[in-house]
Amino acid sequence: MVRTSVKQVAITGMGAVSGLGQGVQATWDAAIAGKSGIRPMSRLFQNDPRYPYEGIAAYVEALDTKPVEARFGPRALAHLDPVSVFSVVASVEAMEQAGLIGHPALSDRTVILYGVGSGGNTTIEEAYHRLFDKKAPTVHPLTVPKYMASAAPSQLSIMFGVRGLTYTIASACSSSAHAISEGMHMIRAGRADVAIVGGAEATITYGGWLAWKAVRAMSSTACRPFSIGRDGMVLGEGAATLVLEDWDHAQARGATILGEVAGSGASSDAFHITQPQGDGAVSAMRAALADAGVELQTPVLVSAHGTGTELNDKTETAALREVYGVGMDRNLVIATKSQHGHLFGGAGAIEFILGVLAIQRRIAPPVLNYLGPDPECDVPLALGEARAIDFEVLVSNSFAFGGLNSVLVARRV
Amino acid sequence: MTISANDILDLISTEVPIERSHLDPAATLESLNIASLDMISVMFALEDKYSLVIEQEDVKDAKTLQGFVDIVIAKAKAADV
Repeated sequence: MVRTSVKQVAITGMGAVSGLGQGVQATWDAAIAGKSGIRPMSRLFQNDPRYPYEGIAAYVEALDTKPVEARFGPRALAHLDPVSVFSVVASVEAMEQAGLIGHPALSDRTVILYGVGSGGNTTIEEAYHRLFDKKAPTVHPLTVPKYMASAAPSQLSIMFGVRGLTYTIASACSSSAHAISEGMHMIRAGRADVAIVGGAEATITYGGWLAWKAVRAMSSTACRPFSIGRDGMVLGEGAATLVLEDWDHAQARGATILGEVAGSGASSDAFHITQPQGDGAVSAMRAALADAGVELQTPVLVSAHGTGTELNDKTETAALREVYGVGMDRNLVIATKSQHGHLFGGAGAIEFILGVLAIQRRIAPPVLNYLGPDPECDVPLALGEARAIDFEVLVSNSFAFGGLNSVLVARRV
Repeated sequence: MTISANDILDLISTEVPIERSHLDPAATLESLNIASLDMISVMFALEDKYSLVIEQEDVKDAKTLQGFVDIVIAKAKAADV
């Protein structure tokens, strides 16, 4: 393999919360057990029968905030929108694992790049409810700091005492994949020793739900990636965080290295605001493989974008076939949105974490809800039960609305 | 709307949150160690519940809990006129 980068980028911490579970280990256990966090949901906004929303979703319930409060005080999460709460919960887990909380490395040499697709939906909807429904003259004075798109990484910076570059990356479903990629580049370029990266979303709200429903891309039955009879995506929520670290920095402080971020590639379709176009996916995958120095002959585990929509899955299949040709049959595709739903801003990060665990632990979580082959989705899928695998390389795809594509490559350590 | 000192202390106790018995009117606001974001929420809850407008300027001279309560009651009375 030809490496294009001088510096290697290690993963030294991971954290996750979603409808599938809280904590990376619980998430992994549920994923390989073939469980799904997608279940029926029936809610009323503001307990008002005029505002019902229901369907299937992978929602978070009974969030355990004690680990955060034990570290940062009982009011640590008091003034945060759910999108920031999820971000903090996942990030504290990742930072605990990395052994970096309170560490001197969290200075100017640490950066936070966090993917959020929309922002504090709960907060903005409560504010608009006051204004338009209750006809109140004012909104809560913390509305802006709670709903602003950069609220989540701001909270992380304050909480961890990180003084380096911090901002939100917003590219819809690719947000957190772009964030991981940019964190990797910051470390490679020598501009940071540590990058706290990942993403979050909390749009299972009344307005968020109806907005997604209006796109007419949501399934009312199940998320069935690459299956005949698939009828759409299923909304999820939550957050996933990785601590990336300069390899030498991690080794020097004796950190456990959990995997390597080996490369990334990105592209834009320049085509349509919602429809994917395969050319962009192809160029992003080729760029990521080249960046990581992975030859096309090397078998890879593909963590597909795999939304379960008619269009995404056949377009992604065509793109994979264009990149790999018949060699695609040496690869294996996982599609974990069938388990944790679509986390939008957090999707790329939670899928990357599960993919990294899969190559590290040599087990592929199964693609769920498969009804049978679709000739337009002819890729080798990890169907049935979790299976033993042996891939050194992970390719993790994120293809967002707007035609914004981000592909990550990880290598087993 | 009439508003009593007890109403205000009850609301602070809920919003911060802080044990009602810890809210000694003679205590300085500093000594109660109420976070600035919690105080913002207290003021908003008072505005919302009693249809008041409390500017930061109005309460900047309040040193004790009693001082804060007096200012809010005076604002409420003025609003009733």
